[in-house]
Amino acid sequence: MSLLLKELKQIQGKKGYISEDSMKKLSKKMNIPVAKIYAAATFYSQLHTKPQGKHIIEICNSPSCYLNGSLNIIKYLEKKLKIKSGQTTEDKRFSLYICSCIGCCDKAPAMKIGKEVYTSLTKEKIDEIIKGLK
Amino acid sequence: MQILRKPLQRAYRKAIKLGSKATIDLIKKKGLSGRGGANFPTGSKWEMVSKEKDSEKYLICNADEGEPGTFKDKFIIEKNPEALIEGILIAAYAIKAKKAFIYLRGEYDYLESKLKKAITKIKNRTGSETPIEIVIGAGAYICGDETAILESIEGKRGQARTKPPFPTVRGLYSKPTVINNVETLANVPLAMLYDDWNKNLRLYSLSGNVTRPGVYELPLGTPLCDLIKLGRPKNPIKAVFFGCFGGCIPHCDIPLHPDAICGKECMLGSCTIIAVDEKQSIVDLVTNIAKFYEFESCGKCTPCREGTYRILNILENISMKNADMKDLDTLKELAEVIKETSFCGLGQTSTNHLLNALKYFRSEFEERVKEKKTRKRTAR
Repeated sequence: MSLLLKELKQIQGKKGYISEDSMKKLSKKMNIPVAKIYAAATFYSQLHTKPQGKHIIEICNSPSCYLNGSLNIIKYLEKKLKIKSGQTTEDKRFSLYICSCIGCCDKAPAMKIGKEVYTSLTKEKIDEIIKGLK
Repeated sequence: MQILRKPLQRAYRKAIKLGSKATIDLIKKKGLSGRGGANFPTGSKWEMVSKEKDSEKYLICNADEGEPGTFKDKFIIEKNPEALIEGILIAAYAIKAKKAFIYLRGEYDYLESKLKKAITKIKNRTGSETPIEIVIGAGAYICGDETAILESIEGKRGQARTKPPFPTVRGLYSKPTVINNVETLANVPLAMLYDDWNKNLRLYSLSGNVTRPGVYELPLGTPLCDLIKLGRPKNPIKAVFFGCFGGCIPHCDIPLHPDAICGKECMLGSCTIIAVDEKQSIVDLVTNIAKFYEFESCGKCTPCREGTYRILNILENISMKNADMKDLDTLKELAEVIKETSFCGLGQTSTNHLLNALKYFRSEFEERVKEKKTRKRTAR
């Protein structure tokens, strides 16, 4: 069973999200009821059951980042991408999520895109990062 | 720093020479205690599991460091993964574990390659056959709880289990399991090897409104003022939050020791210190933390699922200057009910910060509420 999380992550890595179809296929492959797979897939905030943008931006708004002005950065990012937290841009390039602490409190504010961590964010830095990803 | 010393597999060899019982006794004698927040004596935990008669036993290294403001485990994995892996192998040997797991939080997935390298290196050098598997989480704060971690590794929703039975009796796949924090396990080889190993040294994660945030290694009982001074705050510090779950106190000169802090209805936990300066509003910060708990509540029990949502609602009303004095009392009552009746540690501690804030900074809440009244009057 410990493989389930791994399998779900693999599916997401390949397809970008975990569709109902993939869950059904996985259910047959692993001999686990679909309901249990769905339960796990919807529980974790980093697993997605709906199509996502190419880059998933997770921006931290926990106390340490909040105290160092993360709200301004989030507002700026939302305005720049023209989406709110939980949404995907029309061109399917970016999905934005306000997330819990990512453990970069000593270099706040911070965000994560894929496996890359960006710290000590400023508006200028955000511009640069987004430009670099396009 | 003590935590950065390199044991170079000598501790593992010493453990093999001593045998499992003497290793556990040594850890007990050295006084190593859990660094995840509960301070449970590590040797005793190992002993409990080693006495169980099951042939299958497991060891889990809890690297799901989800507490906001904590980054000491990340520091250890980045700077001294070899000591951690050696600690895991020693623990696995002492309790005769069939397999060891490292539950790495999803947000730290970029550390996986570093850990893998260290595993291969240390296993080659020690010749240990214990398999170590890295399980990567997927973003759930609750999985830092020792029973939720078991559910998550088993591939289920990460919701806490009823205790007892404790994991030491029925843990992973219903087998006796030891769950230790990263800092605890990294200290195992150091404690075994060095005579001058100090059991009182802790890693403090300092962040917030300070110009020099970071991990500081200081003994328990260090005055709070000294630690804050090391952080060089720009403005005078008003309050200190011990992570989200530990509650908050006004900045004062108390020793950072579980005994001294518990008197203030706070918990030192995993030594997380978030400094808040005069320019910040406690009401807004508390609302931010309430939002965190509302988001992370797993939904298993009603007090936490519904309560955290209600609390966020009221706090947002206060923040938006849209509440009455009566709401402050409702807030306190609700917070107390959640604390008393929630199922797991997450729920039970989810209102600590609020209860303390209401106790020590009530005037700030009252000011917000009063602002509404003056606004109404001018509107007329």
